[in-house]
Formats: sequence, C-alpha cells, structure tokens
Amino acid sequence: MLRKDLIQKSPVTQILGDEYLQQGKFGAVISRAGVGKTQFLVQIAISMLLESKKVIHISLDDPIDKINVRYKEGYTNLIDNVGYIDPQKAARLWEDLAPCKFGITCHENTFSPKNIRDYLMSLKKNALEMPALIVVDGLDFDVDCSVVLSVLSELASEFSVAIWFSMKSHREEPFTERGFPIQLDRVEERFQKALYLQPKEDKIEVVILKDGAKMNERHLIEPATMMLVSNIA
Amino acid sequence: MLKDLKRVRNIGISAHIDSGKTTLTERILFYTNRIHQIHEVKGKDGAGAVMDSMDLERERGITIASAATHCEWNKHDINIIDTPGHVDFTVEVERSLRVLDGVILVLCSVSGVQSQSITVDQQMKRYQVPCIAFVNKCDRSGANPYRVAKQLKDKLGHNSVLMQIPIGLEDKLKGVVDLISMKALYFDGDNGENVIEEEIPAELKDEALQKREEMIDAVSMYSDELTDAILEEKEITDSMVIDAVRRGTIAREMTPVFMGSAYKNTAVQPLLDSVIKFLPAPIDINNEAIDHDHNDESVTLTSDFDKPTVALAFKLEDGQYGQLTYIRVYQGGLKKGDTIVNSRDGKKVKVGRLIRMHAAEMEDIDEIPAGHIGAMFGIDCASGDTFVSPGINYSMIAMHIMEPVISLSINPVDNKSQINMSKALNRFTKEDPTFRTYVDKETNETIIQGMGELHLEVYIERMKREYKAEVITGQPRVAYRETITQKAEFNYTHKKQTGGAGQYGRVSGFIEPCEDEFEFVNKVTGGRIPTNYIPACEKGFAGCMEKGPKLEFPVTGVRVTLMDGAYHAVDSSDMAFQAAARGGFLEGYLKAKPVIHEPIMKVVIETPNEFQGACMGLINQRRGIILGSQEEGVMSVIESQVPLSEMFGFSTILRSATQGKAQFTMEFSSYKQVPQSVADAIIKAKEEDKKKK
Repeated sequence: MLRKDLIQKSPVTQILGDEYLQQGKFGAVISRAGVGKTQFLVQIAISMLLESKKVIHISLDDPIDKINVRYKEGYTNLIDNVGYIDPQKAARLWEDLAPCKFGITCHENTFSPKNIRDYLMSLKKNALEMPALIVVDGLDFDVDCSVVLSVLSELASEFSVAIWFSMKSHREEPFTERGFPIQLDRVEERFQKALYLQPKEDKIEVVILKDGAKMNERHLIEPATMMLVSNIA
Repeated sequence: MLKDLKRVRNIGISAHIDSGKTTLTERILFYTNRIHQIHEVKGKDGAGAVMDSMDLERERGITIASAATHCEWNKHDINIIDTPGHVDFTVEVERSLRVLDGVILVLCSVSGVQSQSITVDQQMKRYQVPCIAFVNKCDRSGANPYRVAKQLKDKLGHNSVLMQIPIGLEDKLKGVVDLISMKALYFDGDNGENVIEEEIPAELKDEALQKREEMIDAVSMYSDELTDAILEEKEITDSMVIDAVRRGTIAREMTPVFMGSAYKNTAVQPLLDSVIKFLPAPIDINNEAIDHDHNDESVTLTSDFDKPTVALAFKLEDGQYGQLTYIRVYQGGLKKGDTIVNSRDGKKVKVGRLIRMHAAEMEDIDEIPAGHIGAMFGIDCASGDTFVSPGINYSMIAMHIMEPVISLSINPVDNKSQINMSKALNRFTKEDPTFRTYVDKETNETIIQGMGELHLEVYIERMKREYKAEVITGQPRVAYRETITQKAEFNYTHKKQTGGAGQYGRVSGFIEPCEDEFEFVNKVTGGRIPTNYIPACEKGFAGCMEKGPKLEFPVTGVRVTLMDGAYHAVDSSDMAFQAAARGGFLEGYLKAKPVIHEPIMKVVIETPNEFQGACMGLINQRRGIILGSQEEGVMSVIESQVPLSEMFGFSTILRSATQGKAQFTMEFSSYKQVPQSVADAIIKAKEEDKKKK
C-alpha cells in the first residue's frame, strides 16, 4: 500500500500525470545550474522504483556515493510528504527499492553508450529484468551531442527503456523563438517531454515545455524537497 | 658475509601477474654468475626458471612461493626475493615486503600499471619500502615506456622520473640511453652479457638532452648541491645526480624509471647498477620493534653487530632436513650455537645450521649478521615470529593478514593419505597464515579455508605431490544459516512415566526474531518451573541453535521467551526440561516461518572500460546487485553484492569474458535471505545428500 500512496504523492506523477514516461522516449529536465535538475530526476527515478521497475543512473559529475545519498534523500522527502509512516515500514521499503537502481559514474569524455548497450544485451540474453528508465545526468548540451543522442535513442527503442536527461541552460541566454532554451531547441525533435525549472520567489516553478496537451502548465515546488506546493493554472 | 652494510642490498621484485618478475630474476642470477644457463619460465627445455623450484610452479608457469636468493654484483651483496604475482598469494608478497629494504617494481611496457601493481604499491606504502621501477617487455609491440611512467604518476601517485630512454622500441629495441652518463648502452653476446658503451646515436641526441634536462630538474629537489650547481651554471657531475636520485628514492619521494627487456636480455645490468646506486642499504632504513617490557613502546633497531639480536622469521619452508626458516636479522647477529628466544612464546632455542640460499642450492655459513637475510634449519616456529637475544623482549610489528574467504571439504582416500594429509595441513597452516583448517563437527570432514579457489587448488596439488596425500575435494562450500521471520508460540509437555523413574516437564512461551544470535528471556512467575530447572531449559533451547530443524544449518537471530510451564515433584529433572525445551523449540520454530540466509560478498571488479557492460552483465547473471560503477582513468571499477554461492569459478569466467584483463576482489559483506527458488534448490540438494548417506 505504501508504494501506491507514495506514487500518488510524488511530484512527478502530480505534474506529468500517470503516463509520465513512455518507453523508448526521451525526456529532459532543464534549468540553470543549482536549481535542482538532478534532484528532480531522482524523483522521476524513485517514482519508477516504486512501480517495481529498475533504474540505471548515469552521472557524469557525481561519484557513486553522492548519487546514493541523493536517492536516499529524495526517498525521505517523499516519505515525509505522505504524512506519518511507520519508520520501520519505510526503511523496509527502501531496502527493497535500493537494489533496483544502480549508478554509473563516468567521465564526460569517456562516456560511451556502448557499455550500456553491452550491459542491456547481456540482460536480455539471460532473460533478466530490463531497466525501465535510464537517467543521464550531466551530459553537456552546449556542444554538439547529436551522435550520442542518436545512439541512445536507438538504444531506447531497441530495449524499450525511457531515457531522461538533465540539461543545463545559462542565465544570460534568452529562450528561442519557439520558446525553448537554446540547448533544447537544437535537439528538440528528439524529446517527447521537457520540463523547465526556474526559481520563483522562494519556490521553484516547473514549466512544462513539451508534453502534448499539458504544454505550458505551471507548477510550484518546494526547493528543499522538490514536493509540490500547488497547481497554478 | 659482508659486514660493510653499505654494500648490502635486500631487495624484492614484485609486480602484476606475468610482468616478468621471474624472468628478470633469472637474468640477474645469470649475470651475477649464480647460474650458467638461462631457462625460461615456460621454456621448451622443460627445466623452468631456477627460482620456481616447485614442480607445480614450473608446470603452471607461475610463482607460488616467494624464493629468496643471494648474489653479488660489483662487490655488493644482493639478497633478492622473487614474489608471486597472483592475488591469491598476496600474503607472500606482504611477507616479503616486510623484510625488504627496497623493491624493483616491474611493469609491463604495454599494459602499464595494472591492478596488482596497485595492490603491491599499497603494500609498499604500508611498509614504507622505497622502489625503483623497471619497465619490462619493451620489445613487445605496443610498448611505450613513456606512457607507463605517466601512469605511475597518475594511477599510483609516484613522482616517476625517467632515468633512461630506449633506443628503438618493439622489435627494433637495441638498447638504452643512460641519462646520467649520457651514453648509449648496447648488449652483445648470446645472452646479452657484454655491455657496450657508445656515443648516443645522432637521431636521439636532442631527445636525450631534453629528457636529461627534465630529469635533472626533477631530482634537483633532493640535493642542494645540485640546485646550486644548476643555478651557478657549474658543471653537473654524475655523482651529484646519483646522490640526489638516491636521496629522493630512499625518502620515497621519487621513483626512478628504468627500462629494457629481460626476455631479450636488454638493459638488465644497468638495472643492477641502479639497485646498488639508488636502493637503500640496511643502514639507510629505520626499522622499529615493540618493546614488551616497556609498555609496548616502539624502539628503533640499528644494524649494529654488537647489540642484542633481533630477527624476524618471515617464511617457512619444509625442506629435506626439516623446517627451513627464512630469517632477516635486524640487529646483532645470529651465530651457530647461539641461544635465542622466540618472543611470542618465550621459548629458548639453540641456533643450529645456518645457510644462505643460492637459487636452488644452499651454502652453509656460520653467521648471519645484522642487515642480512638467511635461513636456519631445525627451529620450530611460525611465520612472523620474532627471535631475540635472551634478556630483551622485543617483537617486530605484525604483518597485515587477511581473513580467508572460501572453504572446501577434503577427504583422504585411504589411511595412509589420512596421516600424510594431517602432516601436510599442519605444515601449510604454519607456512601460510591465510590458510586455515578445522574439522567440521557435524560431518566430521576436514575443511580448509583460503584466499581463493586457486589458493586452495595449489595446496591440494602440493598435498598430492609433496606429501603423497590423495584427497577427494568437495564442492566449495558456503556457510548458510537459518533464522525465523515471525513470532510463534509453543506449549510442549515432555512426559515419560512408564515404569521406573519418569520424566516430566512442560514449557510454554514464544520465539521471535531478534538482532542477536540467541537470546533467552525467563518470564516464569510463581515457581511454575522451579528456578533450578531454568538453566536446563536455556541449555535445551540453545542446543537447538547449532543445527536448525529445517535444514540443519546453524540457527541465528532467535529470542526465546519462556512464559509458563509445569513440573512434577518427583519426575522432573534437568534432563526432562532440556528435552521439553527442545520439543518446544521445534514446535515453535516450524510455525515461525523459518528461512535460509546466505553470505553476500562485496565484489569489486576492475576492468578496462570496454568490458564494463559485459562485467555488469556477469554480476546480474549471478543474482548480484550492482551498487555502482565508477570510471578511474582507463579502468572501470564496478562495485556489487553477490551471493558467495554464485561466485565459484568466477575468476575463470571473468577472465574469458574480458580477455584476462579484468580482476576482481571479494570480501564478506552480510547475511541475507535466500530467494525462495534458490532455497528450494538448497533443500533438494540437502535431501539428496542425506539419501546418499
């Protein structure tokens, strides 16, 4: 039961709706440095874990330990948001969830989708459970990354996994004519979903840049916990 | 033996598997006229290297036991220890480093700094052993000593400084340029025994000058004299540079890098010269011992012949004439007929025969003075024991010993083997602190424990060859455990009142899971069970923990609370209550949903990046959980948790999946519940086992 409660309370489900993730598709969380891209991605991953699915978190900046801390933190925030939960139950659920995700840290210049592919292939060959989501955190979209993206998109459709990226925008750069940050604009056609995070007073505003009908919806979340404050029309 | 300790070197040769340690040692022995013919490690003549004295070593082409040998070069005494490269025998390396003053770190010019080089480096750090690096195999295609020197810097954090540059590389390797003397060295003759000094070839002149500049710049850190000479633009003499390099090396602040190819007999002699020039003599090194008579204070040992003797037994070997104990004397000296005390147990022993090893032969000597390595016969001790003169109570600081991770049952085939086996086991446990043995009370089988499958395999092989003990080995075994998952009540009456003295006892209460291994809580009130029978109840319950009712694995994590009971004035006894407790436990246990727990190992795989995905796949196939994967340079480190039962044979599988380029280490992490499907398999196997018996 706990899982269901948590999924409902997750800011991810609340903002993006139930089918926030489609297999084989790309999503992006965009913001300036330090607003909370990674933490939001972690929430996406956790909601996936709660659905009993597997997640791979690839980070190009953070060491493994730090990724693990972020997940634990994200989970605790979610638990606190639901209200009172037996700490023992919460801890047991975390024990179930934690092994379902794993982090990979690589350096930016050596990040190779081939390794991920090898890994997924070996899972498939042995009929083991495939991950449903890959989080790629820290890929530099300021430079041309069409090659990596096209390889990853092949990967996504071949193994039917969703891939979410973090995308760093810059304060001084205005949005393009189409209303996207420049980093997204370049590769826009690849992404089915895109969220833009920006600070608004003491909260963070989440703008849905791309997601079919939900486009331009705005939500407010708490910067410390990433939990939803209220819906704004 | 030389008493001028400035002219003594105790050095080791250590490196990753197959970097060519033994080949290099073989060449050194040849050039120092210790042997007159070179045999290759896996040569076609089948003789094998002299240093690999065990048949098993020659066959497999690996070094198992580190061998100590002695040779002379340029009027200097050099004691060399050749160490194994394989991880499973890491204790041998550890032991050797403990007694060495310096190390030649051999690196492959193609593979560079490998995982075992990293382990060896950590061990060198632990014992503060200075080293020089030798980039071997410069004749192989893809050789690049410059890259290796850079890796030394990046991966191991050494301040590596090139002391030579190669003349040609790969199959065109001709010799080396010595950057101190600025001469080109070529090696002539059938076995490269003639060193020819010539002018540097014109095409290498500029490069040599540039590298010399870099080298001088780096080593000037360690000599004011040299710095002054550079600043005042005076002439820089060879001795100034040598002095500076020596100082930097001994302080472990820099690592001079040499290169060549032992197999092709290239540049081994200059390496020997460098050992003498740059590695420390016994007097250059501070050795410490603990004084047990004075609050375990540490005392510095000096290589003084007149002070009381302090010596460390670092390796045992079973020779023709009984136990051969390799010993390093730190202070004083060992003379034939001396009485020395083993500081571990305080036993006095008399020194009998003293010898010095020359490759496979031994030479009788009368004395081992301080600063030397030798061996003595006929003294019973364990490896790591300290011997001192009567009157002092020092012991050398202990070595770092790891816990065994794997166990195997062995059964002798016949009576004769049985006796030989126990002899062999006795011997091996003394020789190798990471090899343990015990008898399993349940099955009466002898269990051996060690650092890895290869480790145990080698000992079983040695048992067969050296002790003629044929044994049948069981499957490598995992220590499962049972535990309960929920609270369950019991109410059991033990009653036997059919003639004669009867037995009567009733116990009731509940059992529940707990954190500790076993807990007993007595909540009986009103004397329903008289207090003098309570201990008997506890004993009865505790007795059940040894062998679980489900699968006969040991039970852990059970709290028994005794609430109530009944007794009979005449028929109750300790025996009766013990039996009642056993019955009660059984009754409760089966209701408490018992499960099997298995040991989970923390497995860390180091692999080149290109095999990262494949290695992660291997982990998943083994019910493993990947905790994370991190890139470190060209290598990826994958951390994971895998059940021990799935890890058997993993080294072979990993090797074949990664072309032998990946390595893994494994250590115990925790006990976790076995998934139902696996538990069923265990139960089935256990039942079949029972049927066989």
